[in-house]
Amino acid sequence: MATETQKPNRRTAPRWARWLLIRLHPSETLEEVEGDLEELYAYWYRRAGKTQAVLRYLLSVVSVLPPFVRRRRQTGSDFQRSNVHPDMIRNYFRIALRHLVKNKVYSFINIGGLALGMACCLMIALYVYDELSYDRFNANYDHIYRLVEKQKQPEGIFDVAMTPGPLAGTIARDFPEVERVCRMGRWSGLLSHGNQAVESNQMQVVDPSFFEVFSYPLLLGSPNAVFRGPDEVILSEATAVRFFGANWRQQNILGKSFKLNNDQTLMLVGVAQNPPVQSHIEFEILMPFKWLERYDEWSMKWNSNSYHTYVQLKPDDSGAPVDPTAFADKVRSQLKRYDSGNETPLLLQPLSEIYLYSDFAFETDYGRRSDIAYIRIFVTVGLIVLLIAVINFINLATARASQRAKEVGVRKSVGAQRTSLITQFLGEATLMTVLSMLLSVLLAEALLPLFNNLAGKSLHIPYQLTAFWLTISGLTAVVSLLAGLYPAFFLSSFRPISVLKTGVVGHFSSIQTGRGFRQSLVVGQFVLSITLAISTVIIYRQLSFLQTAKLGFDQSQLLYVRLKGDMRGKAQQFKTGVEQLPGVAQASVATSNLVNMNNSTLIEWEGQAPKDEFLITQINVDADFIKTAGMSLAAGRNFSTQITSDTLSKRGAYMINETAAKRMGWTPARALGKRVKFWGTEGQIIGVLKDFHFRPLHVAIQPFILRFRPKEFYFNLLVKTKPGLVARTLAGVANEYKKMKTDYPLSYGFVDQDLDAQYQSEQRIGRIILCFAILTILVSCLGLFGLTAFTAEQRTKEIGIRKVLGASVASIVTLLSRDFLKLVVMALAIASPIAWYAMNRWLENFVYRTDIQWWIFALTGMLAVGIALLTVSFQSIKAALANPVKTLRSE
Amino acid sequence: MRRTYLGEFEEVVLLMVAILDGEAYGVTVSQALEEHTGRLVTFGTVHNTLIRLEEKGFVSSELGGATADRGGRRKRLFKVTALGSRALQDIQELRSHLWQLVPPNALKISGL
Repeated sequence: MATETQKPNRRTAPRWARWLLIRLHPSETLEEVEGDLEELYAYWYRRAGKTQAVLRYLLSVVSVLPPFVRRRRQTGSDFQRSNVHPDMIRNYFRIALRHLVKNKVYSFINIGGLALGMACCLMIALYVYDELSYDRFNANYDHIYRLVEKQKQPEGIFDVAMTPGPLAGTIARDFPEVERVCRMGRWSGLLSHGNQAVESNQMQVVDPSFFEVFSYPLLLGSPNAVFRGPDEVILSEATAVRFFGANWRQQNILGKSFKLNNDQTLMLVGVAQNPPVQSHIEFEILMPFKWLERYDEWSMKWNSNSYHTYVQLKPDDSGAPVDPTAFADKVRSQLKRYDSGNETPLLLQPLSEIYLYSDFAFETDYGRRSDIAYIRIFVTVGLIVLLIAVINFINLATARASQRAKEVGVRKSVGAQRTSLITQFLGEATLMTVLSMLLSVLLAEALLPLFNNLAGKSLHIPYQLTAFWLTISGLTAVVSLLAGLYPAFFLSSFRPISVLKTGVVGHFSSIQTGRGFRQSLVVGQFVLSITLAISTVIIYRQLSFLQTAKLGFDQSQLLYVRLKGDMRGKAQQFKTGVEQLPGVAQASVATSNLVNMNNSTLIEWEGQAPKDEFLITQINVDADFIKTAGMSLAAGRNFSTQITSDTLSKRGAYMINETAAKRMGWTPARALGKRVKFWGTEGQIIGVLKDFHFRPLHVAIQPFILRFRPKEFYFNLLVKTKPGLVARTLAGVANEYKKMKTDYPLSYGFVDQDLDAQYQSEQRIGRIILCFAILTILVSCLGLFGLTAFTAEQRTKEIGIRKVLGASVASIVTLLSRDFLKLVVMALAIASPIAWYAMNRWLENFVYRTDIQWWIFALTGMLAVGIALLTVSFQSIKAALANPVKTLRSE
Repeated sequence: MRRTYLGEFEEVVLLMVAILDGEAYGVTVSQALEEHTGRLVTFGTVHNTLIRLEEKGFVSSELGGATADRGGRRKRLFKVTALGSRALQDIQELRSHLWQLVPPNALKISGL
């Protein structure tokens, strides 16, 4: 009662501050500190009022919270030794090593599996690091951007990596933020010196600032003095070697004159180091932009996008890169000021993103490129492999708990606290992880050549990098925690009385509790590996679909010869020569080789609605083209040299594909005789071709038009060879080519091979994923193997008794295998929809694709169950065959 | 045996414990500090110093009786140990010895 009346007088501190104190202050001194602070609060309240008291109370509370507070050590407790005492650590080590040696199979599965997983991660990390570090060798890489347009076209909005030639100059003039600008365009041609000639399609036409913006050092010549005039040339080191041999440095080659395409004279002003592999710009020969301005009037015009424009922005005052967004907003409407009516916005693409994020329309971006999507796939796959290995570790560690239960009981009885046990088991996990990490580095070193071959890289482990060792240590720490945390908490939770007193029965119940967890982990493992396996099968089916799909023309035994320079005019003559060869079934000249057909433009047609326009891809052919390529007509007739209206140069005769007819609103039959205007030449449609694939199967078939211009240049000769005569025909073609007496070396290819090469990156990814899918199944089965071995061992006596009572070997194998197979089947049920969904998403990238059929799931499932059964039965048959006399003899 | 080092603040707190003579605990030490030295320190500093002094063996403590104004919570009362008083005396002796070594005029000049 007395306290009740006193209560209004008793001033108490804010409740939440007290709550904080109670929650966080060390328990040893909580009572006294709480009392002291309460007394002080009352004292301050009396002295200085409530606000002061609350403030000082708060300050005091904070001062006795961790980390400020000093913990009171318990005195007079000799058994309370710190668990990091050297003796204890030695003991932990000894126990851990004893267990490693005692359970050789488990140790091998744990360490081996983890090492395999980490080796995968390591290789993938190297790959990703390599991909992400493209173009970073440039000293100013974080200040350099490429200007990109967002063009509005009839079909939608397209990102275009090329910009008009005059843009660079105006940007540099109008914006003080710009440090330097550089234009770059790709060119190709024949460069000759004396009787040496190099034909290159890796010629870049660049501004003199190229050597200041980018870090491509000149081995010969001064970066400040080159490309001031138009008639200059710089060779890459490799090209210099081709011209002058390996000892070009000893020769005085500066100032030597070169011929370009046999008519223009250029002076050598420098030799540049070969561009590094990690450069998105490739070049063999460099020429000044000034030279281009003289010959290419388009380079001076605002309405042509033919060149890349790079800008280097000035750093801010501290030397850090400026935020490009503000600048991008300023240049956004720049085009409008010089090219009236041009509303196309400009964007800035950072240099470091060009390699991975260049998905541009109209082939405006070329050269060495990759795709960020592949990086994401790889990272996911790497993490999956690691996760599966970690799950193995957790499973085996908890399964082996029965062996450790007595140890835990004894340790706890003599005073071990839970924290010290957790430390011990975590430490053991760390020990295992460190061992596997060392093994994984060895493994990665051994497997890297294989992986390099697979991924088309030349990676090596950067032992000299501190960052590498830091990453390794970080990975080890994370994996140890992931793998060790659950077992540590699980093992340290055993109650000493139950594990020691009731013995087997007592700890068996605790093992049982871990079983559900282990089983779900096994299911998880197999879900991951089966998903990967199903995905691999589907990816492979899609790849083979791409390679065997009917393209609408016959690409087999189809040879093409590139025609260059003077050969373009002599195409017909060359064709006539080739036609006489015995192995040639058919020959034709055309402007394209059926692989890269990108030349597209707008078309006008009869009955066109206003503002209705579309781009149409075009090719110039001769009358034999349809036959050579094996295409078929839907309506109308082929071109003919006999019909004068076909060969007129003022008027045109055209053939279109079905898609083009449909786009212009005609059926194939109705399209015949319709008038269209194309590149200023009016003409009639004389035939409609059945649709054929002239682009990779990622995209739908677009409108296409064939022109017959026998008096114009042709760039390719297509040769259909007779079966079995390819090699002989090739020799004959080479001979005919020699007869033409051209300076350009013979360059040829096979259409089917080139078409296959278009899917190279898909094939590469497919192969890598196949390897990883096999690996995940392998690692999963490793874990399954360990678990079965463990169960079989646990049930040795039970099996013995069953056999004595008359159980057959088959029934015992079934008994042991059933549980695990159930898990794998369950995993299959979960994995199938996941894989189906993921693969559906991936297949959406392709317009033409295989369908996902049920048998894929059935087959992969049977395979997974089969492999699992094999793994499990190895152990269970061994257990079932064991002589019961032996297993039951000892107790 | 090497003497355990005694910090300046530790010395002051130890003296307060001696002054309070059996009545020393968190509150009284804080209040005495404020009263005698004019120093305002957070409670945590005093708390930590007392624990540290006990670890070094200069004070000993026991939990004392509860009072109503502490909500029935016990206080931890501190006493100076023999080692603690030896340490205080050592310091005192050392100081006076050093004072005697100072030449009579030296401090006057520096005082100017």
